[in-house]
Amino acid sequence: MNFNLLIQKQLFCSLTKCYNQKASQRLLSGTTEEAKRQSELFFLESKRQKEAIGRIEKINVNYVGVPENALLLMNKNLSTPFDCAKHLGEVVANRSALALINGETIWHMHRPIPESCSLELLHYNITQPAVVNKAFWRTCSFILGAVINNAFKENVHVQLHSFPSPNVRSGSFIYDAQISLEDWTPNENELKVLSSEMVKFSQQGYQIRSLDVSVDFALLIFKNNEHKTRQIPNIAASNGGKVTLFKAGDHVDISKGPMITNTNHLGRITVANVFKLNTDIPGGPIYRFQGVALPRSIILNHVAYSIIEERAKKMNSARIPCLQGVSEEESGYIKPTIG
Amino acid sequence: MNQSEISHLVSKLRIKVNPRLRKFRNPEGPLGRLKKLQKTVTALIKHERIELNYPRAEEARMYAERLISDAIRHGDCHKTTMENANFWITEKQLIHKLFKVLVPRFENYHTSYTRMHRAPRPYPGPLDKKAVLELRGNPYPSLIPDNISNKHLIHNVLLDEAKKEYRALKYAEIAAKIESEEKVVLQDVNLVKDVTSKVEDNVKM
Repeated sequence: MNFNLLIQKQLFCSLTKCYNQKASQRLLSGTTEEAKRQSELFFLESKRQKEAIGRIEKINVNYVGVPENALLLMNKNLSTPFDCAKHLGEVVANRSALALINGETIWHMHRPIPESCSLELLHYNITQPAVVNKAFWRTCSFILGAVINNAFKENVHVQLHSFPSPNVRSGSFIYDAQISLEDWTPNENELKVLSSEMVKFSQQGYQIRSLDVSVDFALLIFKNNEHKTRQIPNIAASNGGKVTLFKAGDHVDISKGPMITNTNHLGRITVANVFKLNTDIPGGPIYRFQGVALPRSIILNHVAYSIIEERAKKMNSARIPCLQGVSEEESGYIKPTIG
Repeated sequence: MNQSEISHLVSKLRIKVNPRLRKFRNPEGPLGRLKKLQKTVTALIKHERIELNYPRAEEARMYAERLISDAIRHGDCHKTTMENANFWITEKQLIHKLFKVLVPRFENYHTSYTRMHRAPRPYPGPLDKKAVLELRGNPYPSLIPDNISNKHLIHNVLLDEAKKEYRALKYAEIAAKIESEEKVVLQDVNLVKDVTSKVEDNVKM
């Protein structure tokens, strides 16, 4: 009797294990070997940079805002605005999208603070949210890139190209990618799958890390992507010899930043349409992926959302990438300031 | 009396009515339950916004809605309604408030008269779920964040641009329509001219 029960139990265990394995395989089937290599390199480099700091010094961070003003004693070049936010409470930490340092410099939430400063934390429902909206739109493009990388079958060759400077008024965020499919027009179901992949990715709640790296290291990370390899020297030239990388989950990409804190800030997401672009870039057709998304904290009724969804289906008029010159997002590295 | 007439006897509430009422067990039995709810309904009418445990809020909400909707339907000269008001409102000066303040306020409403929100529970503390129950149109600041009035919020920016684009499209359509109409008119004028010139020619001949 007992023996039978034991066998049954074991069988059940092994079955559930099998099932779990299968489920996890299906979930993980997206992440490619290449993405894993890139994220591993990113991790090692961030570890190296952290260890190179040496003796830890203290800085005073003067927080201004809700729930109350506070003076925080933080670690120089180690502590990030997110660490400060964690001292102020879970609600503040979870909703803050960007940091404002000394009242003028927009700062990524996971970027270490180099000196004593005053700190404000920005979220989506403030009186002047233009900067936050822009960072949100940029992050959406970045995440869309991750989704494009993961969503296609293995026989389809995907190479991300770039995304233009975010413009909320244009009605959609964009990622341009090279895909080895001739004359592909996605049907409704394919777009739905892309949307749901993006929802799944963002619901993983990945913190979006940022890292400044040298040109050589950037070239090493993107050695299998000829477009990025071509762009990197230009980007570095306009950014003092450094390339800013961002990472969410296993996806690493170049962007001047800043981005929002976490992928779970995204609420409603739609990948609205994909267009084939007319460019002179060699190696295959370039497709423009367009989408629209709203922060989780902003809830919109479905009628209003369908209006902006419909608009996102129209071709976005942002600059089409070509062989000569790089897009604004990559070239124009200006010290990001408010306004 | 057929079924359609029966359904008009009781006013239809604009909230979800639970099929099974909560017992709120207490030594006095069902009357004790009603006494508890009396207190809550009275407090709601008095303070217009109250925070309490979720089950009691949901239960009291149904009685408050029914009371207000009856007051609107029958007015203060209806015996049964007055008796009901007298039963549910323990502080008698609030009966005047029900008929003189709340009835005019809610007369033209197409939504429910009360609103209920889930509230956070104190931590650490008892595990009971909390709720906020309020009358609509109360004088307190709103509990839910205002996503409408700030036009710089991301969804408002997107909607604004969509509106602009839609308008531009409509203006272009109207302009095209006017142009085509003008063309037709011009053609007509030309036709008339041709005909008159022909007639004149005939006359001359």
